Amino acid sequence: MLRSLTRELRFLRRDRGALFWLALAFALSVIAVSFGIAEVREQRATIATLVEEDAADRANALSTQQDWGGAAYYAFHLTYEPPSDFAFAAVGQRDTAPWKHRIKMLALEGQIHEADTRNADFGLVGRFDFAFLTASLAPLLLILLLYDLRASERTARRHDLLVATVGSPRSLWLPRATLRVLGLAILLLIPLWVGAMIEGASPGVVLQASAIVIGALLVWWLIVELVSRIDASPSVLLTSLIGLWLALAIVVPAISKAAIEAANPVPDGGEILLLQRETVNDAWDLPKDDTMEPFVEQYPEWREDSVIDEGFEWKWYYAFQQVGDQTVAPLARQYREARLERDRDAGLVSLLSPTSFVERAFEKLARTDAMAMVAYEDRIRDFHEDLRRFHYALIFPKVEYDAARLEDLPQYDPSR
Amino acid sequence: MTAPLEARSLSLMREGNAVLDDVSFSVAEGEIFALLGGNGAGKSSTLLTFLGFLRPSAGEVLVEGRSVHANVAAARSSIAYLPEAASLYGHMTAYENLEYFLDLAGRKATRSDLDSAFERVALAEEARSRRLQSYSKGMRQKTAIALALLRETPILLLDEPTSGLDPVAIDEFHDLVKALASSGQTILMVTHDVYGACQVADRVGLLRRGKLVGSFAAEPGRRIDTETVHAAFAEREAA
Repeated sequence: MLRSLTRELRFLRRDRGALFWLALAFALSVIAVSFGIAEVREQRATIATLVEEDAADRANALSTQQDWGGAAYYAFHLTYEPPSDFAFAAVGQRDTAPWKHRIKMLALEGQIHEADTRNADFGLVGRFDFAFLTASLAPLLLILLLYDLRASERTARRHDLLVATVGSPRSLWLPRATLRVLGLAILLLIPLWVGAMIEGASPGVVLQASAIVIGALLVWWLIVELVSRIDASPSVLLTSLIGLWLALAIVVPAISKAAIEAANPVPDGGEILLLQRETVNDAWDLPKDDTMEPFVEQYPEWREDSVIDEGFEWKWYYAFQQVGDQTVAPLARQYREARLERDRDAGLVSLLSPTSFVERAFEKLARTDAMAMVAYEDRIRDFHEDLRRFHYALIFPKVEYDAARLEDLPQYDPSR
Repeated sequence: MTAPLEARSLSLMREGNAVLDDVSFSVAEGEIFALLGGNGAGKSSTLLTFLGFLRPSAGEVLVEGRSVHANVAAARSSIAYLPEAASLYGHMTAYENLEYFLDLAGRKATRSDLDSAFERVALAEEARSRRLQSYSKGMRQKTAIALALLRETPILLLDEPTSGLDPVAIDEFHDLVKALASSGQTILMVTHDVYGACQVADRVGLLRRGKLVGSFAAEPGRRIDTETVHAAFAEREAA
């Protein structure tokens, strides 16, 4: 086999057509990895700037406050989901789902969903990143490298001479195709490996990503191999293979997406926002007990401190913010569950499309998939809950204002 | 003694049509056997059956006494095949083509071996380092013949070997084929060139619509009479 590979390597070095496609694969991989690195660096820079400005802004806001309610009201808190060390390879859901939110002690769900005007969605075909290259374009390059290995020799009336000379056809076509697939894999992977080193991605993740690339190419190789055994002209084979690629890379994902969306309706983010605002605004006009009763059901520890004596009290104000969240909780839960359900269904359907499968596998490795973005929203909710507990403990018992205690304000930790 | 090439009651059906019908012949070691026939007579199909590309619907073909279809690779390793208008790689030089194809056959040849083969087929020295895309049809055929020579197999199958060669080159080729047979190589050639076949072959078989309908052998010290074969060929074709 080694001798056959050496022979075919010498042959490949003279095949300008194949060299062009291989060089193009390398160039596209370099571009995809560069775009990915530039994008995550920009996101990291944005986060670094926001973290700095957020701290300064909060310190400034808190410095002028005279009571706990004002301190809670005027302080913003930045939350964010930093890109993973492998996100450069698959930007994934970070294109469609927010990865940073500045939140405050008001009703939370509206703050999470106010940026969502069209529902965060699972992306079946994403931007031009390495995942897209591997999932969608690499199969095309593979098709172009392999589709006419046999057919072009038949057309040139060289096939029988080649096979008669080599004896066993396997000794010719296998090394010839292997070398092209191997070359394509290596040329796609080298920029990824370099990018991973630059970004400090873990070797385990890089190893898994490399296995995905090789696995995807092997699947497409099998498809091309089966089709190119048909005794047809190169143009017929190419047309058939491009048709198959279109079906598996575009049509199946598009139809699946439409079917999954229809089967798992997701409430509009705007509905959550609107319902919450109405609840909060209506609370001004309702008897205070109508707000405080549902509040203490959630936080019974403040029952004794939930009596509102004056016309306006911060604890009443934050209680109706809280109740706003309680009101939209079923809708927000439905939104979250439907997204996860869509993601689960998309995972099953991706078994029908190598393109979707590869894209999803990369997003999972890069932690840029729908699960990761839902997990980020859950972290925001946890952090907001920490803020509430911190502030409630100061507002409800009417603790005397002491700005020094604000140094213990919960800090958002993206790794928690 | 086992004949290097033998067809036993060979029949071949393709798409419901009989391409070969109960064809039997053998070619002895060092013998040149020419199968003559018009278009669609089944000449090339006979060669492709010996090479294992076509499977007989009845009968069998044997190479060095072994059934071809029992071990196709073994049969092919004993045969050098020169297809009609052999198309080698146009983007490679004659040297590169031969090196590649010999490598395919599991053989290595030095540059001097290659030059020696090129000299035997009279391929000009200056042309050998040029890409074949600049070659004439005859020059390409000479390169392919050089490849067949370098294979040094006991059997040579030639499909319309002089197609595209000029008269001088045809004479040189016939001399070359006779020399190869003299050195013990068994040669089966298919052609529709009655004159060429009679000039070079020890035996000529007439193939018509898949049937072997006549056979002519050279007398010791004499070539096959072209007129006789031509008349028989014309008569059979007209029938």
